[in-house]
Amino acid sequence: MSENLPDTNYLDPELLQRMGDLELIAREVVEGLRVGSHRSPLRGFSTEFAHHRQYSPGDEIRDIDWRVYGRTDRYYTKLYEAETNFDCTILIDASASMNYGSGKVNKLEYAKFLAASLAYVVLKQRDSVGLSVFDSEMREYLPPRSAMGVILQIDQLLRDIKPTPKTSIAKQLHDIALMMKRRSFVILISDLFSDVDDILAGLDHLRHDGHNVVVLHTLDPYEIEFPFKGTWQFEGLEGEEPLTTQPERIRDDYLAGFGEYMEALKAGCVASHVDYTTVDTSQPLDLVLSEFFNERQSTLSGGSAAARL
Amino acid sequence: MSFLNPLLLFAALGVALPILAHLLNRQKVKRTDWAAMQFLNRNVRVRSRQLRLKDIILLCLRCLAILLLVAALAKPSWRDGASWIPGETRAGVVIGIDASFSMEHGGENTTRFDRALNQVEVISEHIHPGDPVSVILLGGEDEVLIHNMAFDRERFNDLLQEAKATPAGLDLDGVPKRLKVLVEDMEALQKEVYFITDVQARDWRRSSARFQEALADLRNDAEVFLVPLPGSPANLAVTDLDLVSGVLRKGTTARYHATVRNCGTEPVSNIEVQCRVEGVQIDTKTIPLITAGSSETVSLFVPFHNAGPTRITAEISGDLLPTDNVRRVVAVVRDRVSVLCVDGSDGDAGRLIVASLLARGDGAQDEDYVVRSVPWLSLPSQPLDDVDVIVLADVPEITPEQVTQFSRHVREGGGLVWFAGENVKSAVWNERSASGPNPLLPAKLGPPVDASTSHGAGRPLDPAMPDHSVCLPLRSLPEDLFSETRFLTRLDVEPAPSSFPVLSLAGSGAPILLEHSLGRGQVFMFTTSAETSWNNMAQTPVFPMLMQQIVTYLAGREFEPPRVVGDSLSLSYVEQPDASDAVFDTPSKESITVPVREHRNQFVALLENAKEAGFYEARVSVQAPGMPVAVNVDPRESDVTSLTASELNKNLKGTNVTVATSEAELAAAIETSRTGRSSWRQFMIAGLIFLLVESLLADRLRKGKRSRSKQPDPVPATLTGAQDA
Repeated sequence: MSENLPDTNYLDPELLQRMGDLELIAREVVEGLRVGSHRSPLRGFSTEFAHHRQYSPGDEIRDIDWRVYGRTDRYYTKLYEAETNFDCTILIDASASMNYGSGKVNKLEYAKFLAASLAYVVLKQRDSVGLSVFDSEMREYLPPRSAMGVILQIDQLLRDIKPTPKTSIAKQLHDIALMMKRRSFVILISDLFSDVDDILAGLDHLRHDGHNVVVLHTLDPYEIEFPFKGTWQFEGLEGEEPLTTQPERIRDDYLAGFGEYMEALKAGCVASHVDYTTVDTSQPLDLVLSEFFNERQSTLSGGSAAARL
Repeated sequence: MSFLNPLLLFAALGVALPILAHLLNRQKVKRTDWAAMQFLNRNVRVRSRQLRLKDIILLCLRCLAILLLVAALAKPSWRDGASWIPGETRAGVVIGIDASFSMEHGGENTTRFDRALNQVEVISEHIHPGDPVSVILLGGEDEVLIHNMAFDRERFNDLLQEAKATPAGLDLDGVPKRLKVLVEDMEALQKEVYFITDVQARDWRRSSARFQEALADLRNDAEVFLVPLPGSPANLAVTDLDLVSGVLRKGTTARYHATVRNCGTEPVSNIEVQCRVEGVQIDTKTIPLITAGSSETVSLFVPFHNAGPTRITAEISGDLLPTDNVRRVVAVVRDRVSVLCVDGSDGDAGRLIVASLLARGDGAQDEDYVVRSVPWLSLPSQPLDDVDVIVLADVPEITPEQVTQFSRHVREGGGLVWFAGENVKSAVWNERSASGPNPLLPAKLGPPVDASTSHGAGRPLDPAMPDHSVCLPLRSLPEDLFSETRFLTRLDVEPAPSSFPVLSLAGSGAPILLEHSLGRGQVFMFTTSAETSWNNMAQTPVFPMLMQQIVTYLAGREFEPPRVVGDSLSLSYVEQPDASDAVFDTPSKESITVPVREHRNQFVALLENAKEAGFYEARVSVQAPGMPVAVNVDPRESDVTSLTASELNKNLKGTNVTVATSEAELAAAIETSRTGRSSWRQFMIAGLIFLLVESLLADRLRKGKRSRSKQPDPVPATLTGAQDA
């Protein structure tokens, strides 16, 4: 990733954490990304024409359909299905497993920064963005809106997130699919520590409903590398039985299981046309987003969406 | 079960180290919350449990290996009733061989000592290689031939070749103690002590209760085997060779008495006694018969053709024990003998003394035997260089210069005879010659005292030292003639610690003649007068015999009296010598250098413990001429009669000592008694096996881990980059 932006000074996640203000964080991240960029990375998602209605005072002059006026000599304005180009719903997994972090920033914190930054990007394009926070249940839901003020609401919602022990990603994906009537852009931020088949079934449901699904698989570097030495006791965050062991001696077994899981997840995403990206919480947020948008642009230019490794 | 090195068991605490390390490792468990618990699934948990189990197995192996190795080093052993336990019957062996010279008796076609070595061979056949073994030759100073040697047959036999009997006797009472020291020095599961001896009746019959107790005590530490080697009691020994008469002067003949004792139980006839002077046979006498247990004496006439120290031997032959067949003396033969009598009496003491000294068979003095008498007032002008013996008779007083002169005369080997008398000023003599560390006179003088009996008669003489050379001729006098000598008055004296009485008064025990050494010479002191006012000695045959014997003793005495093996030999100096060391040549021509030490203003070189019988030579330096000293064997050891079996059993009653009278009995006794089993080798092997298994298992675990880590990383490359823990 750094090969693409060799001279960029990325924002350290810990630095962002110290900033505290999500809006400020989002602005800082996104504005940095937009420098030199004139095209929205999300451009191409158009809205649908609904019907005409008669002009009434107060309507925007620019919305008057002059062709209809030429044929009928009456003022009609064009009405669209939505006020913005598209709806984007960000799904954040707030289960207890997201509370793990080997460094100072845990996965949930990182997810918050990620969600805020993405929301900011969407709003900057005058699109609507909503937020859904879930664990075993749907905890919070903010419908997509295009007003810039929604970032503050998102900020408040994210601040109020309290991790809960259990997660049920698959069920929540099904529920969300049922809730969203309009085709939209769904960004799932989660560690996806659940059954792969269940997760893929939920994602399939979303895709089946016509949603564009992006999975930001948020993982801690320790979960990827398992670099522990000595004797450790691992306490499950979601009520699992603790395990005391010498990690370096079981590392191979761990990595084997982890590798199988990752392979299955990525293969499922590719098959379901779900855009998959692994997010390492030790990586700078702006670097992750930059890579993500660059990849999306190249994907859209190239055609099909695919999981990227 | 017992341990030879129980203190080493403390090393077993070392087992705590791996356990401690294991526990500490467990204590140092770090805790972390973990989200990806689904990957620490059942397989990982099973594997983790397997690893923990392997760790515990490794820990157990490690602990077991440590315990076994520690136990092996502590040398575990089992006593009776543990034959099922793997191990070897091992024992540490201490062999004491009686090496007194009676063991050289060759009564059974071979010497007792050779038979003892055969028994040692039987014992050695039951010693395992590596078992500790000690061999001590008991006799005289005792010689530890082998000390705690790990048994190696070849080396053992080589060392045994050096074993030989000593010409000394056996201190039987000290034997258990010596053996106990060796037993205590030894580290062995079972200890065995073998005492091989000819059970000489002379030693065993007079063994004390202390010996029995010490033997019983030794039995507490070890199995004790007594291997008796009884033999024929037949033995003849030359027990004495003494100068009887004659002045040891060149050109004269002296008479010696040689005594031969038949120590056996059968009479022996026609014993030929040969006399040799400087190795040349000069006289032979035959004793027709010596009955069992008695002694016979023959006179040997020794002519002296040359002046100087002369080696004289009396020897018999054809005996089973050659060690005691010879007796040796050294005579110092002078060119001439000169006696100066200093007369301080108012009467005729000087004349009587001269007369007594010249009273001999030929009746006249010759040019090689000069006796002069001078008044004491002319003493300062008299030269003393040519005088061998000075006789001071009733000399009133003495000057310090004269004391110095006389002392030097005596220290150089001369003789001094002092007579009391009415003119003697005791205070002056005491002040000048009877005080200080090395007084000239052997006693402090007191006032004259009455020595007569309650009836007013004088008291007769009593030889305080009947075996003294001076007294020897008196023993041949008839009793009535001897008791004619009566003493009415004597000086009350206070003998110096270095002096001893030679003659005393019968009844009172008051000393009449005292002797002490000064340098190389001797001083005789009569506490009575040489004239007839205090006694009638000068009028009896006792006086000339006594005076002539004293002059013979003083003028011709050996440089050193004969010694026995084990005695010390000394070399006295007149003045501080130039050389700091003296040299003693042994009969086997070995030179021993001895430092010269100062003792009470006298310089003496002392060779402690003469180990050989024969003629030693003492020299003040390597180049100086040697002065021979005769060393003989102790004649008491010549009685080689062995204890009977019943007497031996009676003697050993209560000591629980096993007696093995034959090689077969000895072998059987060893087999029966040796029940202890040593398992240290088995423990060591087991410990090493456990250590090896532990190492292999640990290595296998490491290799397994390494091989797994060499497998391709299942994690995608893009997921790398996590920080190292």
